[in-house]
Amino acid sequence: MILRGLWERRALSLIVLLIAIVPIASAAVGPLYSAAARTTIVRDAIASAPVEGRGWRYTTTRGDLPARLAAFTAGTDLTAPPIFGMETNSGRPGDKLSYPIMWQGGQCEHLKRVAGRCPTATKELMASRTSGFKVGDEILLSSIVTTQPGGITFVPAPLQVVGLYEPISAADPFWFGRTLFDTGGEPGGERTDPLFTVPQTRYDTYAINAGNAKGEGWTDYGIVYLDPRRLTGSDVGTLTRMQATAEAVGRDSDAIVFSYLADTLKAITTQTGSLGVPTLLVIAQLVGLGWLLLFQTVGDLVRARAPEIALARLRGHGRIRVWLFALAEPLLVLAAAVPLGLALGRGAAGLMVGALLPAGIPVDIPPEALWAGAAATLGGVLAAALAAYRTATRPIIEEWRRTPRRSARGWVLDAVVLAVTAIGLVELLATGVITDVSGQSSSALAVPGLMALGVALLAGRALPVLSGRLFPVTRRHGGIGPFLALRQVARGPVTAGSVIVLGTAFGLATFAVSAWTATQGDYRAVAAFHNGAATALTIQPVEPRALAAALDEIDPAATLAAPVIKLPGPPQLVATDPVRLAMVGHWQPELAGGTSLAKAAAGLSGPRTPRVWVRGDRFRLSLSHGPPPKSYTARLLVTLRIPGGPQPVAIPLGQLRGDEGGDYAWNLPPACARAACELRAVHGELIGPQNLETTPFLPVKVTGLAVRDAGVWNTLDTPTWRVDDDPDENDGRFTISTIGNQTLRPATYGAEIPAIVVGPVGRRLLPGLDQAFAVPAKQVAAAAAAPGLDAHGVLVDLEEADRIAYGVHPKATYEVWTTATDTTALERALREQGITVVSARHMDDLVASYAGEGPGLALMLLLVSALAAAVLALGRTVLALHTAARRRGYELAALEASGARVAALRSSLLLEQVLTMAVGTLAGLAAGLLAARVALSRVPQFAQPPVTPPLPHEVAPEPVALVIGAALLASLLAAAVVSELLLRGIKVERLRDQP
Amino acid sequence: MSAVRCDGIVQIYTAQDVEVVALRDVDLVIEPGETVALLGPSGAGKSTLLWLLAGLLRPSAGRLWLDGVEVGRLDQRRLDRLRAAHIGMVLQNPARNVIGYLTAAQNVAFAQRAVRTDRRRVRDLLARVGLDGADGRPAGRMSGGEQQRLAVAVALANAPRLLLADEPTSQLDTASGGRVIDLIKGAAERDGTTAVVVTHDLAVGEALSRTVTIRDGRVGAEGRRGEDFVVVGREGAVQVPPEYHHLLPPGSMARIEPIEDGVTLRRADP
Repeated sequence: MILRGLWERRALSLIVLLIAIVPIASAAVGPLYSAAARTTIVRDAIASAPVEGRGWRYTTTRGDLPARLAAFTAGTDLTAPPIFGMETNSGRPGDKLSYPIMWQGGQCEHLKRVAGRCPTATKELMASRTSGFKVGDEILLSSIVTTQPGGITFVPAPLQVVGLYEPISAADPFWFGRTLFDTGGEPGGERTDPLFTVPQTRYDTYAINAGNAKGEGWTDYGIVYLDPRRLTGSDVGTLTRMQATAEAVGRDSDAIVFSYLADTLKAITTQTGSLGVPTLLVIAQLVGLGWLLLFQTVGDLVRARAPEIALARLRGHGRIRVWLFALAEPLLVLAAAVPLGLALGRGAAGLMVGALLPAGIPVDIPPEALWAGAAATLGGVLAAALAAYRTATRPIIEEWRRTPRRSARGWVLDAVVLAVTAIGLVELLATGVITDVSGQSSSALAVPGLMALGVALLAGRALPVLSGRLFPVTRRHGGIGPFLALRQVARGPVTAGSVIVLGTAFGLATFAVSAWTATQGDYRAVAAFHNGAATALTIQPVEPRALAAALDEIDPAATLAAPVIKLPGPPQLVATDPVRLAMVGHWQPELAGGTSLAKAAAGLSGPRTPRVWVRGDRFRLSLSHGPPPKSYTARLLVTLRIPGGPQPVAIPLGQLRGDEGGDYAWNLPPACARAACELRAVHGELIGPQNLETTPFLPVKVTGLAVRDAGVWNTLDTPTWRVDDDPDENDGRFTISTIGNQTLRPATYGAEIPAIVVGPVGRRLLPGLDQAFAVPAKQVAAAAAAPGLDAHGVLVDLEEADRIAYGVHPKATYEVWTTATDTTALERALREQGITVVSARHMDDLVASYAGEGPGLALMLLLVSALAAAVLALGRTVLALHTAARRRGYELAALEASGARVAALRSSLLLEQVLTMAVGTLAGLAAGLLAARVALSRVPQFAQPPVTPPLPHEVAPEPVALVIGAALLASLLAAAVVSELLLRGIKVERLRDQP
Repeated sequence: MSAVRCDGIVQIYTAQDVEVVALRDVDLVIEPGETVALLGPSGAGKSTLLWLLAGLLRPSAGRLWLDGVEVGRLDQRRLDRLRAAHIGMVLQNPARNVIGYLTAAQNVAFAQRAVRTDRRRVRDLLARVGLDGADGRPAGRMSGGEQQRLAVAVALANAPRLLLADEPTSQLDTASGGRVIDLIKGAAERDGTTAVVVTHDLAVGEALSRTVTIRDGRVGAEGRRGEDFVVVGREGAVQVPPEYHHLLPPGSMARIEPIEDGVTLRRADP
């Protein structure tokens, strides 16, 4: 009987089914898309984390490592197969260096063999190219011993060098971030690059630093990497538990578990947290809108059965039976809509994920999607229950009354909604936060939706009243068409509901479109400044002068590319070539008081006094000076900047001799023989008794500089000097003293560095390229945003910064900015100049990455779903108006029979529908724009809100106009079609029927 | 025990903030097995009285007994049960009595659901109303006469003691109408069902054993065995039948003259 009934009312049932499916799908899309977005966030976070943040390094000296790792990873399939390794250390007789001996599974694939072969047999080694060993050398290590044949004394085991290697990359994830290899190509400190062997070496020797058994004294380790391809957003809990287990293992056992995964998890949590609240906001509003639609539509299905329900009651069916009878059809339709809606949601989410998220992201159905679908359905169930209750409890005879009693629409629900809207609005305006990522302003979550609903409720109230006021006018003017239309609008039960549904849906859609366009604009604005230029190429570290020289070679006109070195600060520092920056950098003069980038950049460069470059193996300084103070000796030192190192190196030139001066020389660091070092300072020390009554001092003057290269002394030009704290001294004089000791420096830079300043930097010392925080900024321009800065900071001349710094700090990032979007040629040219390009980041990439963050994903979800809901609301309204007009078919037939012209009836139907739909749509437009004006600046757009640039929040009017225009056009067309369909059904013969 | 007993029934309803007295001090007793035609002009209160008898309305004042059970004392559940088991009702429009997409048999069975589904009775009823060959056809595709006969079968589905019918012949031709009335009379004769039929059709009234004429919410007249009587109301009021209004127009004055077995009314010219 239920199925027969559904078939009898197949058109309405189908419409209810469709209208139920879409909110369920919309509601389910949120969690589906959110789950995929979470997966994206997790995978991206793992992929972009430092290698130590992508897994764990489990180290133990107790053996049994495979079993321990198996226990650690039991129950999950999120990790790649472990990489096992073992290592020990040993010195060498007569050598203070410590030699790591190690094996790591698959090591040979991650080492560049430069001579010989990889070790394959016990006691074979492969040594670093820089170790000085040669293929065939036999190495004896103090701690790797063996017993003499037939004896009990241990002697160093002979280990054979069978190959030499170079690391392919010190940053190879295979090594889990360990600094096994000296990056400068020289052995550093007292530790050398490792000697690689095979596991059997361990078991054929004794490590006498621990135990007497073979195999002991080695440390076993296993590297467990997470496999991003297996991770989904729902695995964060598992990862957190694994990390907690790893920490517990490290705390409670002899094992050491090393990992930065906690930092990665923190980043993931921040990102997913920023996704969660806005997504909840979106889903809640969509579920609410779905409820509204279902409330309006499912009720129609129950009401369509009212005669049957009345018959059931007339025949004495009990209350429960009547309820079940009334609910059966809508519940069956809703039950069918749930899987269909979820399937549709799954499909839509798949499309969205495919279009918006990286490839390979699975679209799983999380429990939240089922809950959201069920929650959306619940609106229909409640609507059905309410309509069934009303139908089942109202007097039976009402069903057969010719003029049914009118039931006034209550104000209670409207008042509650308007009050909640007002409260949310006040909180929004008072606190300035609509939904911060912590989700603390939860009551303000639904302000856009509530505001749309509030305005729609008021419009739904106002339209009948206004129509009623205009009603008398149409009695006298305009003919019967407007008269009938306004009368119907004024008293029509469909009017208010349609205006509410349309107003709410289009309010949300307008807000969503406004928010989306404004957010896209903000993303572009932020990306343009943060990227610095259209494209930023990240390159391997290179000497600043070499970088500048390479670009001069590649781009002599200085119009294509600019060198950039960035330091994180705070304050942030971006050092670049001002001339090139003016050509390629992104800039908005209005954010810098109208100053153009060219003008601002022109002030960054200081006087280019020559620098003192020293290349050779020995350095000599000629001095004139008097005798040192009595009882004191004076020692002279020069400070050099060594290429490739961030720290200055001071070399002693020895004690001052005699009382007239002379030449003082000392060997230069080996690095200065390969590349020019820069003389940065000369100073001395007085060594003697501490005499507090007098201040001993010794005036000194530098009279000449020379450097020896290939056995030949070359005299260097004497630079312009300056002395700290004594600006008048510039001829090379300075004073060595126990108090107020002076330092003589080549005057290659000023006391302040000219800078374009963003934010309250003031007189704070800037980090400089070496993070030495040596000099403050001299502001040449103040701007609210500058290229490359994503926080408060400065933009300076790279040459000036290089003159001040002793090197470039490892935290620095090296980039080349360019206006070109196709960087193939530039990358090739850079490679030819010996510069390795690591990656290219286009401005659009940044925009896409912002859109892929939690808030961006949520806004996209809101946009898609709100537009779908708006289309649905429009369709539902057309249907409701059509149904209402059909019910008046008898009345219209009577009017036609009494002489009313068809044209008048057509204009009546058309005007009624257009009026209702236009008012609903325009109310939505007003509500959406109002909500956008109030809430847009408070809607989260970024997982981490940018400090700079200021966000314009500009709503693009075209998309909003397009949506509303399309809605109005569709309304007009629908009204015209519906009117014609209705008019065809109006025949005088209809009057033979009962009204 | 009377099948129906109305004692001073008053029914008032509110329409657009105006109270309308639909029935006033209606006293009516109908014995079991009687077939009663409720006659009267439109708006007189016939349908209202019928709805009261069906338990679809509760009287504003007065008391109503059905088979000795005072309806006003029944809660909704017992009233539903009473209606299911003992009352059958035929609504005014034939299409309103049936569910259009169900077959004749399903419609009858639907009416039985509240009590006990009796398929044999369904077949018997359909045969009795002449629809035994149409039980596979949806009711919505039946003619008006067929639908009305089906409506009677539906109303008789649970062998009610009281059959109520509202204008059962109004949309039927004479032959079909006559057949429906025969069905109602047949039910009374066969099962002892008491029937109350609201009608404008005097022929229907003549076909039934008794007529009750409702005018202005009161029982104005009764007819038995072909003879019409005015009914003296609770306050001694007597409604002059419309056919005598030319002799004693409403608003005119009259003299009452006692005679041996009553009074006579004569128009007086003051």
